[in-house]
Amino acid sequence: MDPPTKDPTLLGITVRRSLVLGRMFLLAGLIYAVVFSLVLGLTAGPGFDEAFPLLLPVFAVIASMGALMVFSSDRIKGVLEYLLAYGFSSRRLFVNVLLAGFVLAVILVGVSTAVGLGVRFGSGQGVSAVFVELLLAYGLPMTFASVGFAVTVGMYWTSLSSPRSGINSPVGLAPIVGIAPPLITLVLVGFLAATTSLPFELVAGPAVVVVALVVLALLAQVDRLLPLERLLSPT
Amino acid sequence: MADDPRASRAAPDPGSIEGGISCRSVSSGYLGKAVLKGISFDIDRPAIYVVLGPNGAGKTTLFRTLAGILRPYSGEVWVGGERIGLRSARNRLHYLSHMDGIPDGLRVRETLDFYARVERASPADVDRVLDLLEIRPIADRFLTALSAGQKKRLSVARTFLREREIYLLDEPTTNLDPKAAREIRELILGLSQNKIVLYSSHNLFEAREIGQYVLAIKSGQLGVFDRLENLRTARYVVGVRVLEASAALADWPREGDYFLRELAGPEAVPALLRDLESRDVKIREVREMNNPLEELFT
Repeated sequence: MDPPTKDPTLLGITVRRSLVLGRMFLLAGLIYAVVFSLVLGLTAGPGFDEAFPLLLPVFAVIASMGALMVFSSDRIKGVLEYLLAYGFSSRRLFVNVLLAGFVLAVILVGVSTAVGLGVRFGSGQGVSAVFVELLLAYGLPMTFASVGFAVTVGMYWTSLSSPRSGINSPVGLAPIVGIAPPLITLVLVGFLAATTSLPFELVAGPAVVVVALVVLALLAQVDRLLPLERLLSPT
Repeated sequence: MADDPRASRAAPDPGSIEGGISCRSVSSGYLGKAVLKGISFDIDRPAIYVVLGPNGAGKTTLFRTLAGILRPYSGEVWVGGERIGLRSARNRLHYLSHMDGIPDGLRVRETLDFYARVERASPADVDRVLDLLEIRPIADRFLTALSAGQKKRLSVARTFLREREIYLLDEPTTNLDPKAAREIRELILGLSQNKIVLYSSHNLFEAREIGQYVLAIKSGQLGVFDRLENLRTARYVVGVRVLEASAALADWPREGDYFLRELAGPEAVPALLRDLESRDVKIREVREMNNPLEELFT
């Protein structure tokens, strides 16, 4: 009999698999972010300070798709079934993949921010307080909320649908889902800025909270909303 | 346990596995649609139980229900005397699904490390299994470089990482070439010395070679649960192939080159041979024609 030991964590191996399976997504996200940082970073003016934090969530969503690819592959190939037989709950499987998505996002944020700051300080321009404020108040929180949204909705979608490949699959469409929250937020900010004097933080802050709450609610309810058979290979 | 595996477990066999598997009126399926319909059986004797049935009969559903992945709509499943779903019950069994269950993006050794982590096996167990399944030469290959047979071998390898009392093996030799399938069967036969092994297969000859009991499922219900040898005697047909035509066989039904005769069992073959020889029939070959398990698929 097994001793009552702590449940094994699969995060490390899931991150490694996400890097292998989703390397093209990670590479694409990094290339977009780095090119963007280089071009705007070398350009004088407030462009980098204002645009980089706003676009960071979009790049991060693209980069984090490897985690969703792991989930999709594991469902089709019976790995989720194997893990369920060993007592892993669906919520635990979801959280494991979500955390792997966050790790990929951290890689993207770290690399692109380092490149951007390197360029700004290397060219003697530095960054303004607006950059720091936007990054902390919107860029970073919305990055993780959007990645969480894209990965979690993608896992639900994958579980509820028949296996499909290519761009028409949940993995192919999840980036579009993931960039919806920051995109809608920015449109809303633009609209409200034009019609009212509402400060940016009063729109962006609640938007981040709403997206994060949706992700938490989906995770909390996964055992109830998704019967275990949804995680089994349909083939 | 008596020869009838459904006999009462009031007086347990000294060689039995405590608790074993007990299904009580289990109905189970997918998204509210029952595939298994009120299945009941008790198993506590270490042996290989071959689960047979046509496609869609409910074999995989039975395995998934016993493994605790599908929750029964009604009835109860007990493993090792505990209700399935409890960690202690899960720890007593190993489940090998008909899907390979091999995680993408890893090398062979990393895959075994993954399984070992899930099953709380040690690195030494991984090394032992690499040798046991003869997959050490491919240990550093990525899965994309493996053949279907090599993948199946890797999938089956996890069965041997940790010793369990009960093994649920859903089509463990699919995609394996005959030699590899035979090797896997021999390993599984070794397992069954003191374990309960439920083994599903579409290969009737394999089922006959490896099984001691048969559970036949048809339309979600348990059709037959008996010792394999009892099924063998149910309908035993031999085919006689002759060197030259004989009037003695004129009224026998034929199947190709074989003249058919139904006998009570293998023990009746010598008498048949003596009878044919006495009638001067020149026999070239006598062989069993029907695998009685075929009937379970119809």
